[in-house]
Amino acid sequence: MQEVAVLGVGMHRFGKTGDAIVGTKSVKALCQHAVTAALKDAGVEWKQIQAVSAASSRFSGGKGWGLNGNDVVEDMGSTGIPVYNLSAGCAAGGNAFNIGYSLVAGGIHDMVLVVGGEVMPKGMIQTSGVEEATDPEFLRQRCIGMPGPSFWSTLARRRMFEYGTTEEQFSQVAVKARKNSVHNPYARFQKEITLEDVMNSPYVSNPLRLFQICPVSNGAAAVVICSKERAKQFTSKPVMVASSTVATMTFDDMLPRGLADPITDCPNLHTEAQNAVTRAFEKSGIAPGDVSFTELQDNTCYYELAFPEEWGLCQAGESESLLEAGETTPTGRMPINPSGGFVSFGEATTAMGVFQIAELTWQLRGEAGGRQVPDAKVGLAQTLGLGGNATAAILTR
Amino acid sequence: MTEERVPCVEGLFSEKDGVATLHGSRCTGCGTPYFPKSEACHNPDCSESKMEDADFGGKGVLWSYSVADFPPPPPHIYDEPFTPYAMGVVDMECGLRLIGQLVDKAEDVKVDANVELLIDTLYHKDGKAFTSWKFKQL
Repeated sequence: MQEVAVLGVGMHRFGKTGDAIVGTKSVKALCQHAVTAALKDAGVEWKQIQAVSAASSRFSGGKGWGLNGNDVVEDMGSTGIPVYNLSAGCAAGGNAFNIGYSLVAGGIHDMVLVVGGEVMPKGMIQTSGVEEATDPEFLRQRCIGMPGPSFWSTLARRRMFEYGTTEEQFSQVAVKARKNSVHNPYARFQKEITLEDVMNSPYVSNPLRLFQICPVSNGAAAVVICSKERAKQFTSKPVMVASSTVATMTFDDMLPRGLADPITDCPNLHTEAQNAVTRAFEKSGIAPGDVSFTELQDNTCYYELAFPEEWGLCQAGESESLLEAGETTPTGRMPINPSGGFVSFGEATTAMGVFQIAELTWQLRGEAGGRQVPDAKVGLAQTLGLGGNATAAILTR
Repeated sequence: MTEERVPCVEGLFSEKDGVATLHGSRCTGCGTPYFPKSEACHNPDCSESKMEDADFGGKGVLWSYSVADFPPPPPHIYDEPFTPYAMGVVDMECGLRLIGQLVDKAEDVKVDANVELLIDTLYHKDGKAFTSWKFKQL
């Protein structure tokens, strides 16, 4: 196995179709911007890239078949290199990073581009549009009408029931996230908001309010990775990948995903994420207590409270007190989403796993400016996607 | 004249004499219940994976709930004007954690409440009432 280094990262700032940030840019244009930035950051020429691992979008680009990596190669120059297009719902970006990592670690290729980009349709994420009784998402929306925000709200309400979490505490997570985003030039929202702003925002699905849920966004992210040996030609201090994992959910999982699930005694609701993160710790020999900061998938503020407990970063029921003590801020004991997270970026679904690697890299290099985690040595990233997909990565300096 | 009641998806559930029944399946090997019907058993410790049709219904306990404060996107269909509704996740006595709308007003819904399954109207179209399964607090 080769040790894998992150040589360069790049992003296109996230925005909303028609705004001053992304305007009417296509996913190809957003990806090209991010890839060009990552190559420049790495000091690598396009012709040195030996393979592309790309997240597949089902929303835009990719010739309608999720061939987004092929779009990137064409626009950068058709050099004939292998392209891997990966599909894993919202975990696709993390999945693409893992395949890129595996290609380098396994000695198959030694300069790989990982990319994810998205131009999202407006509003709540819809089903595939196929009205078939064999599609569980169609059944769920036709028979009940439970889009993402309502699903997250049932989880948030359960936490309120079990731990006494208040709506104000969910709001505090959003306030903290947006405070970090002020210092992130790639975030869609870069303005602070107050507790009152969050509490006065309308319910999207009671108990969760507009500012506690990530909207959909357009954006792109790219990273260039190679072996530790190869990296020496470009930099004396590369950021290293300690581990990269992919996992799926286990049978005993009790998250209400389809219409119904068999009842088990499993206390964990997101076994795919727990499996991915646990395996990332095991493979790297790094313990939860060694983590300097975490970038996790906060589609809603609920996850910032639930995930650290499910992964052993803190005790069950402890998240609220850590939040209130300021321990989840960049200067706290357990910094969560110093980037501002999904709540500040919005979700450009397949870009998210790659965006997290970019943020981990900037933090570990000490280049994160006003959102910098002091003396960051170990960063943890995690994604979660439809179908019971999850990924994790641990990066070190 | 009573309006014609039609399931919003054919074959998924039925109602008879006011009793709601969900049509799913069960693994004869390990007893795991599935709704809707499953092609195969998902239990990795079950080598049998033989599915037989099974009906589910009855009562359960509300694990959690949320409220649709905005109309969900298609393929959901609702009667205009949109009325916010509560939807629940229920741990049923039959061994399923099942989701469904609640007929109770959102402000009356309580986590941990005992509920029962029923069939109720979801929307109207072409002069017919299209139905789904829902929960009612006891």
